[in-house]
Amino acid sequence: MRLPALFRTTPFRLTLIFLAVFAFAAAAFLFYIYAVTAGEVTRRADRDIAAEMRSLETVYRQGGVNALNQQLIERTADGRPFLYLLMDRSGRKITGSIAVSPLASSDQEDAWTAFTVTETDPNGAEVRQPARGEQIRLPTGERLFVGADIGQAEAFVVKIVHALWGAAALMVLLGLLGGLVVSRNVSRAMAGLNAVVAAVRGGDLRARAPVRGARDEFDELAQGLNDMLDRLERSMAGIRHAGDAIAHDLRSPLTRLRARLEVALIDLENGKGDPEAALVQALEDAEGVLKTFNAVLAIARLQAAGQAPNPVSFDASELAAGMAELYEPVCEEKGLEFKAELTPQLSAYGNREFIGQAIANLLDNAVKYTPAGGAVALRARRRSSGEIEFSVTDTGPGVPEADRARIVQRFVRLENSRKEPGAGLGLSLVAAVAEAHRGRLEIDEGPGEVDGTGPGLRVALVLPRPN
Amino acid sequence: MARAAALRRGAELRILIVEDDVEAAAAMARGLTEAGHETAHAPDGAQGLDMARQGAFDVLVVDRMMPRMDGLAMVETLRREGERTPVLFLSALGEIDDRVAGLKAGGDDYLVKPYAFAELIARVEALARRHETGSVQTVLKVGDLEMDLIHRTVKRQGREIDLQPREFQLLEFMMRHAGQSVTRTMLLEKVWEYHFDPQTNVIDVHISRLRAKIDKGFDRPMLQTVRGAGYRLDG
Repeated sequence: MRLPALFRTTPFRLTLIFLAVFAFAAAAFLFYIYAVTAGEVTRRADRDIAAEMRSLETVYRQGGVNALNQQLIERTADGRPFLYLLMDRSGRKITGSIAVSPLASSDQEDAWTAFTVTETDPNGAEVRQPARGEQIRLPTGERLFVGADIGQAEAFVVKIVHALWGAAALMVLLGLLGGLVVSRNVSRAMAGLNAVVAAVRGGDLRARAPVRGARDEFDELAQGLNDMLDRLERSMAGIRHAGDAIAHDLRSPLTRLRARLEVALIDLENGKGDPEAALVQALEDAEGVLKTFNAVLAIARLQAAGQAPNPVSFDASELAAGMAELYEPVCEEKGLEFKAELTPQLSAYGNREFIGQAIANLLDNAVKYTPAGGAVALRARRRSSGEIEFSVTDTGPGVPEADRARIVQRFVRLENSRKEPGAGLGLSLVAAVAEAHRGRLEIDEGPGEVDGTGPGLRVALVLPRPN
Repeated sequence: MARAAALRRGAELRILIVEDDVEAAAAMARGLTEAGHETAHAPDGAQGLDMARQGAFDVLVVDRMMPRMDGLAMVETLRREGERTPVLFLSALGEIDDRVAGLKAGGDDYLVKPYAFAELIARVEALARRHETGSVQTVLKVGDLEMDLIHRTVKRQGREIDLQPREFQLLEFMMRHAGQSVTRTMLLEKVWEYHFDPQTNVIDVHISRLRAKIDKGFDRPMLQTVRGAGYRLDG
């Protein structure tokens, strides 16, 4: 059987379970109240009856049956809330407000009983009321019965119990209603979230859950879902972008390689050309394509991830010192003065490999573009803002200000650098590393024009202050 | 010992290639055979495991992604069973994480596809050599070159050569792999412990510095450049 949609919602089910538990507890509670109060009514009646009996016994001891008889008549006339019956030795009524003792058949000396009395209420209707009574046998053989009508007290208890039942029923009803309202609210909130999930599953990555501003857990969930979707959308875009980039960046070198092989083959068929040279050239080209591919892939992965993979805490000056050690001989070989200014113990946080590669790329560029006799400097320091800066300064021709934003883009190589080897991906990778670390890349002029060289270039990879 | 015997006969090694790409495995086998080694091929991890268990291989070249049992699981199983034959992982997965996972599983080296044959052969030979010289040495000797690892001194023909710490490490690596080709990438990975591709050939500069120190003034150069591969230290 299919239940109506509402009954299948979790809040409504929880409400029902709660109500069942509540009803059970209420019933137990009411029963307890009834047992205690009803018992109390009986006990109190018994106590009162016993007290009246003692007082009547006192009268009897002092004045005998006649005084007792007199007293009973008086007390009945006074309207005391007791039923009296004085019987002679053979059990016949001498005086009293009831005709027959409920214990008439009993031959016990002293006994208690619960019985009912039939009374006439103010409207003339007969009502039967519960009552309690005690009967004793007097030393002279007469019997005295004292009873009390507990109907009113008991009726009061019953009324209270009825009222409580009513209240419980009302609460169950209200609870049910509350459950319905809560379920509907929750259902509505969930419907919003489910609609987003369905839309995303259907391929619409732009769907977002409504945030109602109530700052409750639904808003939290909606916000979390939205953040997740933002992230997903970004990385999907990144992947798409990476795919495009790889396709674009590899197509031209592969085409070149293919063309070279074709030409070599034609040359061979025509009996000219050197097959070994062609193969060596092709191998070199393939090597170049692979290098480009690796660089593009690294950049694309960084961009797609949007964050540095496997970040660790590391000593930035140690990393820079390693790079300085690696590149110092390269500078010397090219006739460049090399200098490293590294602040010791610079703690940084990020992907050590990528940052190392970024520094290497900066040094590569500096070495490549600085003519012999120039200088290259590597610096690692903490800025007053707490950011960690790696910078490479050279005394080469530098980059005109207008071109500085452009050289970061993939494959952009300025006219005067065409003769140098390289695919133009070095700075793009540095920029991607900076971005993945929430840092930035700064490109400025170097030390300026000196002796006809310069103005040089200063490129800095700035990482945010480590936490 | 079959292994020791193989090494004594010369550079000939018995190499198990565990690779699901049959064509790639055949090309690899040809390259290794031409370099004077003997190869066997297993097309998946399960077979590779069986063949490796029968032993008598000097080096296992294992692809990471294969049907039935991947390379990682295969090497893990072998290592658990106490098999210590050196393993070179081949993989298209080149991230640091993948490399670390490979080495953790019990691999001894990691080569990312596509690779140059020279690189593969150099690494395979380096692994076999490392396995052979398991004992702790305090003095390395190659020809008339002598390295004292405790006093950190290097002498050639009794003449002391002053080396920078990194040059010392570089020479130590070359001496431990004397007679074998070592590639630039190997040097960058094993001596500097960097896993990236520098655009300029930084390694060449370091090698030429080292060469100037150990070969200059001696009649016979020891540090050779191997065309298309890298370098080799000859005794």
